[in-house]
Amino acid sequence: MPLDKQTKRRVQVLGIDAGGTMTDTFFVDSDGDFVVGKSQSTPQNEALGLIASSKEGLEHWGLTLEEALSGIQTGVYSGTAMLNRVVQRKGLRTGLIVNAGMEDFHRMGRAAQAYLGFAYEDRIHLNTHYYDEPLVPRHLTRGVMERIDMSGNVVIPLREDSARTAARELIAQDVEGIVISLLHSYRNPGHERRVRDLVEEEVAAAGKTIPVFASTDYYPVRKETHRTNTTILEAFAAEPSRQTLKKITTAFKENGSKFDFRVMATHGGTISWKAKELARTIVSGPIGGVIGAKYLGEVLGYSNIACSDIGGTSFDVALITQNELTIKNDPDMARLLLSLPLVAMDSVGAGAGSFIRLDPYTKAIKLGPDSAGYRVGVCWEASGIETVTVSDCHVILGYLNPDNFLGGQVKLSRERAWNAMKEQVADPLGLSVEDAAAGVIELLDSDLRDYLRSMISGKGYSPSSFVCFSYGGAGPVHTYGYTEGLGFEDVIVPAWAAGFSAFGCAAADFEYRYDKSLDINIATDASEDLKTTQAQTLQAAWQELKERVLEEFEINGYSPDKVQLQPGFRMQYRGQLNDLEIESPIVEAQGAEDWDQLVEAFNDTYGRVYAASARSPELGYSVTGAIMRGTVPIPKPKIPKEELQGETPPEAAKLGSRKFYRHRKWVDAQLYQMERLQPGNRITGPAIIESDATTFVVPDGFETWLDGHRLFHLKEV
Amino acid sequence: MAYTKTKIKDLVDGKIDRDTLHTMLSTPKDKERFQIYLEILQEQVEWDDPIILPLGPKLYIVQRKSDRKWMIRSQAGYDFCPWNENWKLHARIRVRNTAAQMEELYPRLMAPSPDWQVIREYFCPISGDLLDVEAPTPWYPVIHDFEPDIDTFYKDWLGLAVPERA
Repeated sequence: MPLDKQTKRRVQVLGIDAGGTMTDTFFVDSDGDFVVGKSQSTPQNEALGLIASSKEGLEHWGLTLEEALSGIQTGVYSGTAMLNRVVQRKGLRTGLIVNAGMEDFHRMGRAAQAYLGFAYEDRIHLNTHYYDEPLVPRHLTRGVMERIDMSGNVVIPLREDSARTAARELIAQDVEGIVISLLHSYRNPGHERRVRDLVEEEVAAAGKTIPVFASTDYYPVRKETHRTNTTILEAFAAEPSRQTLKKITTAFKENGSKFDFRVMATHGGTISWKAKELARTIVSGPIGGVIGAKYLGEVLGYSNIACSDIGGTSFDVALITQNELTIKNDPDMARLLLSLPLVAMDSVGAGAGSFIRLDPYTKAIKLGPDSAGYRVGVCWEASGIETVTVSDCHVILGYLNPDNFLGGQVKLSRERAWNAMKEQVADPLGLSVEDAAAGVIELLDSDLRDYLRSMISGKGYSPSSFVCFSYGGAGPVHTYGYTEGLGFEDVIVPAWAAGFSAFGCAAADFEYRYDKSLDINIATDASEDLKTTQAQTLQAAWQELKERVLEEFEINGYSPDKVQLQPGFRMQYRGQLNDLEIESPIVEAQGAEDWDQLVEAFNDTYGRVYAASARSPELGYSVTGAIMRGTVPIPKPKIPKEELQGETPPEAAKLGSRKFYRHRKWVDAQLYQMERLQPGNRITGPAIIESDATTFVVPDGFETWLDGHRLFHLKEV
Repeated sequence: MAYTKTKIKDLVDGKIDRDTLHTMLSTPKDKERFQIYLEILQEQVEWDDPIILPLGPKLYIVQRKSDRKWMIRSQAGYDFCPWNENWKLHARIRVRNTAAQMEELYPRLMAPSPDWQVIREYFCPISGDLLDVEAPTPWYPVIHDFEPDIDTFYKDWLGLAVPERA
């Protein structure tokens, strides 16, 4: 990213990561150059912070907002506003209609919701468990008389008058949305749809406009709590977000943009803010990084990638195998169990902001589980933090430059960190402050390394067949520590590590994905007729989902012929507990030979994911769900490609040196300005490569090489 | 980790915020907690004899100022007995041992049968505060809940001097 490029740029892609404290914007031009803008978030009107952040970023290129926006074809948004709304349970006044006699199941929830998101030691400590207020209170919940059993048979016909009464009572209480979720409606949607129509009639009769959400129109999947929670989120939290996104789009249009914003969704694609199922945009930031890594891998030829990201509070790991992400179907968020397809990611509550404490009885060092988050640590006086954090150790040991944290926006005091570390950790342990701090870093590194190793080997792989990508603000500080000795094929730190999530959002496909639960069970030696029937059941589900995908694209002006459809299904051996998501090798399933192809695809995948000898076709097969994904082509950021220069870094990149402590001794680490390094440069540790928003540490015993794509490769020497 | 006196008062009053409570539950106990706790309890009673140990809601072991004897005392100021005896033997007692009395508390058929279990309620003779309830078999003696080892608690657990005891 040469800072002095003078030619007229054509900005193509804008990625936005609107966090709770900082709003990052990420602009990419037609040559693949990029720039990152940062600004304080403005929760009252997010558009303000976004415009400020964009201006700040574009200033580096000497462009005004108007100049840049006119050429942009793609804008992708990811933010935490919806998640915060759900975490704080501050959404719209929503009414809920369920089966008569089942009115309490939503507030009772599932027991797991009492401890979701807790550290392991708190999960086993029952005293800490608690139940949140339900999204919909009991007095806004009504029951209707009907019952459909798990096979889809009508056991009690719908008593229509009970639905009308329920609707009238909710309308009278001025609800802002009505959610309908009846038992087994994913299997037989008849009653639920009829209730939906009746409620809509009553809303119209009352002369009001209240949106109505039937679970079967959104998430026709098994598990009542999950399905109901997710449908409620549409009414409770997604509608306000839609308004926010509309405001942002308008604000950008006023500044000359011609594109519609898309939003990063949990399934790893981006969707329009006009999408019907907007609740799935509830988390997007961490997914962005995984999508970015997948995209880089596809372009540069890395098919197995371990993605790792350290932020202030957590260490997130995701695996990409053979260029494929793993999708989890019932994730939890904000202490709610949901039915959303989510890019699978594992997290451990250890980050740069994790608090360090001594166990008063054993004097063992304990990291977290709580953290100072964006408030860094004791070293930042204004934070009000009194307990030392991992970042304090970084400052003490010379990993971080106290005067250039976030480009100097936050001034850190090494002395404050040193004194607090001495009092709280070093003195009680009888260690020097440096050794205590280094001990903490080693402990964190080995925790993360063990975690990474167990995650990869637990899935039956070896690190040697993976490339490890490390990004996030604090990722590159620890890359050497958590990869040391694991034997990864390669370890890569992108030069734009801090803006990697925003980059990933910009690189994501425009993709809708819909899921439906199915209960197909069939023996291996089933008759041709039976296979044909089952193939057609699957086909009917695909057809239903396909119509919904095409409908979404149509809202955004894409005709069906522009949409690339990819059907999928979830299959398992009968009686086993876990299913696998399979991309269908065929576009339509009609006959017995089609069924055999699906089975073959499943057996292949099973053998690849587990082991060929573990396959159990004698059990027969179950299909638990149908999936339909649709994409349209969109412009993506180009990955930079620069000419290689010599191995010696230019003098202009050198920033002097800093004392750096590791392995019980102080050494002089050479400092470099990340942006000034040239492709081909090779740097041997001890060295620290600094940028405004991230710091890449290369200790002695390590070497890094910057390639033509602005990726640093880290190696043990 | 230290908490302010206000936070601990919120804890005692049951008004503490969820996040602080969670931190308290999942981290080792703060060293000065017991003393702050005693201070708060002391401010809530109308007599000024020092509290040695809380025994239950509205029930304490105190060091009687007049003679330095350790006594079990109710919030309202009734001295039941010396600290190492069973205070319940000196309280006002109501025994629920008929179906009618049980049904004042429980729905019919959901109450224990008085042939098998009785409910004994222990009250403060001054205020009528319900201080404790036990539910033993009818013939069982009055339960002496526990006799705290205050010397060990103060010296070895808290690292404090044991208050004078006459």
